[in-house]
Amino acid sequence: MLLALAAGIAASALAVLVAQQPSAPATAAGAAANWTPTRTPDGQPDIQGTWTNYTSTPFEVPDKSDTPDVYAGDLDGTGRGTGPSSFLTDTSGRQLTKARSLVVDPPSGRVPIMPWAEERRNYKLAHIQDDWVNFTPWERCITRGVPGGIFPAGYGSGYQILQGPGYVAIVYEMIHEARIIPVDGRPHLGASFRLWNGDSRGRWDGNTLVVDITRYNDKGSVATNVATQRVRSIPQSEALHVVERFTRVDENTINYDVAIEDPKVFTAPWKVAMPLHREPDYQLFEYACHEGNRAVPNTLSGGRARDRAARAAGSR
Amino acid sequence: MRTLLLLPAAMLAMVVAAGVPLAAHHSFAAEFDGGKPVTLRGTVTMMEWTNPHAWLHIDVKGPDGKVVSWMIEGGAPNALLRRGWNRTSVAPGTAVVVQGYRARDGSNRASGGDLTLPDGKKLFIGSTGTGAPGDRPEPGGKK
Repeated sequence: MLLALAAGIAASALAVLVAQQPSAPATAAGAAANWTPTRTPDGQPDIQGTWTNYTSTPFEVPDKSDTPDVYAGDLDGTGRGTGPSSFLTDTSGRQLTKARSLVVDPPSGRVPIMPWAEERRNYKLAHIQDDWVNFTPWERCITRGVPGGIFPAGYGSGYQILQGPGYVAIVYEMIHEARIIPVDGRPHLGASFRLWNGDSRGRWDGNTLVVDITRYNDKGSVATNVATQRVRSIPQSEALHVVERFTRVDENTINYDVAIEDPKVFTAPWKVAMPLHREPDYQLFEYACHEGNRAVPNTLSGGRARDRAARAAGSR
Repeated sequence: MRTLLLLPAAMLAMVVAAGVPLAAHHSFAAEFDGGKPVTLRGTVTMMEWTNPHAWLHIDVKGPDGKVVSWMIEGGAPNALLRRGWNRTSVAPGTAVVVQGYRARDGSNRASGGDLTLPDGKKLFIGSTGTGAPGDRPEPGGKK
């Protein structure tokens, strides 16, 4: 009996271990087999509704080499500069997925970033008070990017999906972005078109919406918000290619996964998987923002105050 | 067996300890000085319910009787709403005490923290993890 108990405990422990591996989206794939989504009038699987992405699962598997204060733009290296506690975030309703990170491939849960891209990120984040060009497109209220705009940010976490004949539209609460995704089989724009968020083309693979995105410009970032830690402010190149997959696996869950490749920025392709939760009572709040509203001028004036203090110290 | 039992717990602890990092729209350190806390007693003149940050405007009477206007940066509207705030929480004329951190450029701006209402009730206008009503501890968050 003792042996059986030990075996049972070992099995359950193993189950927990397996569940902690960065291998599968939160909801069991089995749910998809047993649940059939309703259809829109033009025959698309219905993924409409208001969805949120609150999560307590870290973006990457933590590593002792991480410098979270640098990623958060801590200028004096004291650690206090990142703000009191979790500066301005919304932790309510967070959920822990069964993966140990949202990055599920490579199996290490670490994004394979080229050194030059990390150096550029470090420079820009450390010199954010010097020039507006060092801000991320998110801070300037231009875009959180694709796929970056759907990575959890901690607040402003609502997404409204609407479908019409031949189209899927996603309204992002953060930065008031609206993606219009044709699903009528049309080809990508010509290669001369280069866009901050690339050119999205969708198709239905069974009940999964597959969106292929290409034709990016090299101005944006693959991720912009601090919750993406090491990947924040990593640049995108014109070679960026993204494939998103949206699968509604039950009434209240969309499994979202995305494959990202950019041979000029990453040494290998990588993937993120996470659930979107249906939250019909959630209301998207207006996001009327231009150049950070007050954040950009206030940050730059903080830098000029720093410069004045440095000059005064130098003249003494 | 003990190892097997402890291992998943240790891994879970690692996940929880790692938490989700800070998610401010912009860098706190670039705009505010974590080494300069400030407590302001004043009267609300306006609350701006705007993204990416709400801004509370208060008039503060100094020791010399002179009234100085301050601006307090808060969380995003949806973050405050989920924390229990509503449009009447800080009506104009409300006497409040706000704790925060001063702007690096020395102007009368601060990043907000605890806000105390006349009845002693506390609301948290800025960050999480301080034990304010409706607030949850941030896993691994800095205190």
